[in-house]
This record gives sequence, C-alpha cells and structure tokens, in this order.
Amino acid sequence: MILAFAQWIQSTAFFTSLRQSWYIYPVIMSTHLLGIALFGGMVLFTNLRLLGVVMRDRPVSDVIGQLRVPKRIGLIVIVTCGILMLGSKAEEYYYNSFVWIKLSLLTLMFVHGWVFRGSVYYNTAEMDRAGKVPGRAKLAAWLSILLWAGIACAGRGIGYIDAPLDKIHAKLLHPASTAPYPQATSE
Amino acid sequence: MLDSLVGVGELAVLMFIENPLNEYALAFPILECIHIIGFTLSVGTIAIIDFRLLGIGMKHQTPAELLSDTWLWTMVGIGVMIMSGLLLFSSDPDMYYLNLAFVFKMICLVLATVFNYTIHRKAASADSTPPNAKFVAYTSLILWGAVIFGGIFIAFINEGLSL
Repeated sequence: MILAFAQWIQSTAFFTSLRQSWYIYPVIMSTHLLGIALFGGMVLFTNLRLLGVVMRDRPVSDVIGQLRVPKRIGLIVIVTCGILMLGSKAEEYYYNSFVWIKLSLLTLMFVHGWVFRGSVYYNTAEMDRAGKVPGRAKLAAWLSILLWAGIACAGRGIGYIDAPLDKIHAKLLHPASTAPYPQATSE
Repeated sequence: MLDSLVGVGELAVLMFIENPLNEYALAFPILECIHIIGFTLSVGTIAIIDFRLLGIGMKHQTPAELLSDTWLWTMVGIGVMIMSGLLLFSSDPDMYYLNLAFVFKMICLVLATVFNYTIHRKAASADSTPPNAKFVAYTSLILWGAVIFGGIFIAFINEGLSL
C-alpha cells in the first residue's frame, strides 16, 4: 500500500516536473542543507546551554526561549524541502533503507519531543529558579544532539543506495528522457 | 631528473601512490557526515549572529555578546569542515579541480571566510549596531549559502572545465 502511494505521488504532475528538471532537485537539496546549517546551530546552542557548555552567564529560559521561534521556522524549511525530495522520487526511496532509517530516527525525535517538551524545554524558568539543570534535561540534550546528528548522517546515506532499476516503474520515473536522473559524478 | 619529464600527478601514478581513503568504501561517506556536522557548527553559529544583526532572534543579547559566545564554536566548525573537505578533495583531485561547481564553491569559501574574520567580525563586535549591519548579515548569509549550493552541485554538474 505504501508502495502504491509512492508510485501515485511521484506520478503527479507536480512531482514529475520536479524530477524531470536537472537543477530543481539539487536546488531543493541545497536549501535543505542550508536549512540544516542554520537550524542546526540553534538546536546545538539550545542543547549546549542545557548541558552548561555555552552562554552559562545567561538564564536557560532566556537562551532557549529566544531560539524557539527561529528553530521552528528552520524546521519548517527543512521538512518542506525533505517532503519535496521524497515525493519526487518516492518509489525509488521506498526501496532505500536509509530513508527508512532516517524516518525511524525522525519518529524517535518526535517521541523525544513528546517526552521532554513539558518537563525540559518548557520548564526552563524552573531550572533558573533552582539554579541548576536537572539530569533529565541533560539526558534530553544529549539525546537531541545524537538523534539530530544521526538523522543528518542517515540523510547522507540515502544518496549512496542505487535505485533498483529492475523493480521500479521506468515509465513512471522518466517517461521522456533517456537518462534517468542527473547522475552524481562524485560518488 | 624524473621531475623534468613528468608532472607531479603523473609522477604519483608512476610511483603507484594510492590514497588510502580510496581503499575503504566507508571512508568517503563518513567524511561527508563529519563535513556536514562541521559546516553546521560553523555556518550555524555565524548565522546566529547574522540573524541578530538583522534583528531576528536573540535580541536580549548584543551581537558582540553573541560573538563572544560563538566564536570558538565557529572556529572549531571551520577547522573540522576544512580538514574533512581537504580529505574529501584528496580522493579525486582531478575531478574536483575541473568541476565548475567546485571552483565556484572554493571562491565563495575564501570570500566567506575572509569576510567572516574581517568585516563581519568588525560589525558584530561594534559597541552599537553599525549602519551597515543588515548589509553585512545578508552578505554573510548569501556567501555561506553559496558555498553550500556549490557543494551540492558538485555531484550534479556534468560539464567541467577543459584544460
């Protein structure tokens, strides 16, 4: 069923046009990476503040509170680009194990947010009052750093798995062109 | 005597020098991950200052305060990024050297790094927000963005320089 959905979504006019342009896909990928760079620094500073490594002379609530909105904007940009890339080659990515690893890690990240949101990231005023960051918050910070790094590495791994051309519907993938995709030259 | 007969590249081939990086399939992707983490660290921390100069985020601190909080992380990130980048480059120097996206990336990288440690640093460490703050922030974001775009396009571009 997921496979049928993947085949359908990539065959829509919108995703077909994304796939058939040689430059749109790398532009989306570059924006994805730029988003990661901009957003990643903020995620890191949020977590390093919890760990007491950076901006120690500023209240935890001040650092985390100010980074909250820019982080959300960054996440929206990254996820949008991710969905565009995923949709444009959905069938190929269905067979890519790194896509599944990455989606699993993102699910864990969502669980992480659900578990630690109230008790850590929205509980920073309490930490400032108590004058110390509890172990639970430090655990959350470490897990966040490790999960995001894992997600970034899994994302890079996606590009290393070749499309199983014997399995995918060639006519859906490249109806007009002779070359399936702009081939990566550095890999 | 040999040097006068063949170029350095050919000499390396003659001497059967093999880059150990090319002997392990995982070396390149692992280096790429380190490269991504390095530029996230450097560009990410520079961007915190850029956004502050633009009046977005971290307004409770001055740009100078943010600079003192981030500069070490930026420098470590740039170090990791350049070291891993040099190793990646060493895996196939001829290809990179002739790749237009790579040449573009290197030009932007030099400009962005020099800009970061001169004009950008001066604007960020000023006591009061300088009149050119927004221009500096946009220039910084565009230069680093161009480096990232150039990097991605290395793998997608097929035309190279012919020398």
